Amino acid sequence: MKPFIHINALTVAEAVAALAAYDGRARLNAGGTDLMGLLKDEFLPEYPQAVINIKNVAGLDYIREEQGMLQIGALTRLSDIASSPLLRERYGALAEAAQAVASPQIRNVATLAGNLCQDVRCCYYRYPRHIGGPISCARKGNGPCLAVKGDNRNHAILEGRKCFAVCPSDTAVALALFDGQLLVAGSAGERRIAVRDFYTPLGNQLGKDELVREIELPAITASTRQTFHKFTLRKPIDFAVVSVATLITVVDGVCSDARIALGAVAPGVVRAAAAEEFLRGRTIDPASAARAGELALAGARPLSKNAYKIEIAKTLLKRALLGHPPAKPSQGIVHDKCPHVKTK
Amino acid sequence: MATAIKKKKSLVKNLVRFSVNGTAVELEIGTLPHQVETAHTLAHTLRETLGLVGTKVTCDNGACGSCTVLMDGKAVLSCMTLTVECQGRSITTIEGLADPETGRLDPLQQSFIDHTAFQCGFCTPGMIMSAKALLADNPSPTEADVKEALSGNFCRCISHYQVLRAVMATAQGGE
Repeated sequence: MKPFIHINALTVAEAVAALAAYDGRARLNAGGTDLMGLLKDEFLPEYPQAVINIKNVAGLDYIREEQGMLQIGALTRLSDIASSPLLRERYGALAEAAQAVASPQIRNVATLAGNLCQDVRCCYYRYPRHIGGPISCARKGNGPCLAVKGDNRNHAILEGRKCFAVCPSDTAVALALFDGQLLVAGSAGERRIAVRDFYTPLGNQLGKDELVREIELPAITASTRQTFHKFTLRKPIDFAVVSVATLITVVDGVCSDARIALGAVAPGVVRAAAAEEFLRGRTIDPASAARAGELALAGARPLSKNAYKIEIAKTLLKRALLGHPPAKPSQGIVHDKCPHVKTK
Repeated sequence: MATAIKKKKSLVKNLVRFSVNGTAVELEIGTLPHQVETAHTLAHTLRETLGLVGTKVTCDNGACGSCTVLMDGKAVLSCMTLTVECQGRSITTIEGLADPETGRLDPLQQSFIDHTAFQCGFCTPGMIMSAKALLADNPSPTEADVKEALSGNFCRCISHYQVLRAVMATAQGGE
């Protein structure tokens, strides 16, 4: 990696001040699992001048309930989210989503806010310098989106504009399901951004001097059924081709509340409002689940090579609604039927 | 006098201290050949500065698990960790598993040998460190637990079956 100035921030204020001082030429480092990729591959036209270490900022690693709201500190590690008894019991979709991210080693250091703020995985955008990059594109503010005429198998089928890269975060899908909000600290004070509105086609809402301080989720009432399904080509250490999170409340066999969030199909997380509306007051059976899938993907405008994602999204949603168990994303490395291993 | 104090201060500021396999390590941060640069990863420092070449680097991008070491008992990727951010941490590498006095291998290492749980062996240090972290946390894991804990380690020789057997044998108290 090329050299950079390394700054240790011990408080949120210090981190914000350092961000402001470097005016967009510094990067925050918490878990570092996304940042190291940027530093090693140098896929951005400008290499960061400084790296601000926020690992040691005190008091940003917590999962707590206050006045009915669930608050999660920005530096809470994904492994802690995946294993938290509180989240497992009440916000199961979030725990599942955290568990579905990358590998155990990465979950041990990667933070929730880092997972939300990670950069997109577009193969043109991330083309490394050592094999001829960086490539200029719409996201870098120079030229068209190359995926439109090129390889767009992993790109957006919904809401793409200028740039068609999809939001790679799994936890964002679950947070949008719960109508989560981000508490963002900056030079001008704090503000709140809904996770649903956080992503824009060319990046996210964070200003040059802002960082996510906390993630806040409203209370979940009544007993709900939550699922998180993630379709990947390789089971561990892979980004979603499509992911679906659902939250269903069933009273006397009739669905009284339905929430559906789709991930990796658009620059942000998509809430399927039409499908949610359709399911309210109905019984969930194969026919209504299929219809919900149709409604959720009704607005899809696939590019030349990614229409297949529509079918995957519909199928995942149908499975989630009907309560099929998700494929365990992190247990697929050895085939389930392993002839050489004696079972216990 | 004032300059002396200033010099001392800047020296103190430019050190990173952590322990590797129980030995305290104190490294200067800077750009001179003997110093650790801010851009150095822990994997680089372990191999190039400290000479602990047991930790392997394969993809150098966080996707293969070869460079796995234990940081405060948890499996982490040393290629995705900056050395300057290891201040105060306790690192265990593959070299730290065998008994330093007798040279006797860790039961897990011996189990890998007994089960020939490798072919080329390049992924093995990472596999063993991931398994070590699992067994420290959960001494009697199920097969699913082992698969889960080792899901971040890749082996191109497909030794995964034997690895699973080797880890399960250690977990059950050895064969």
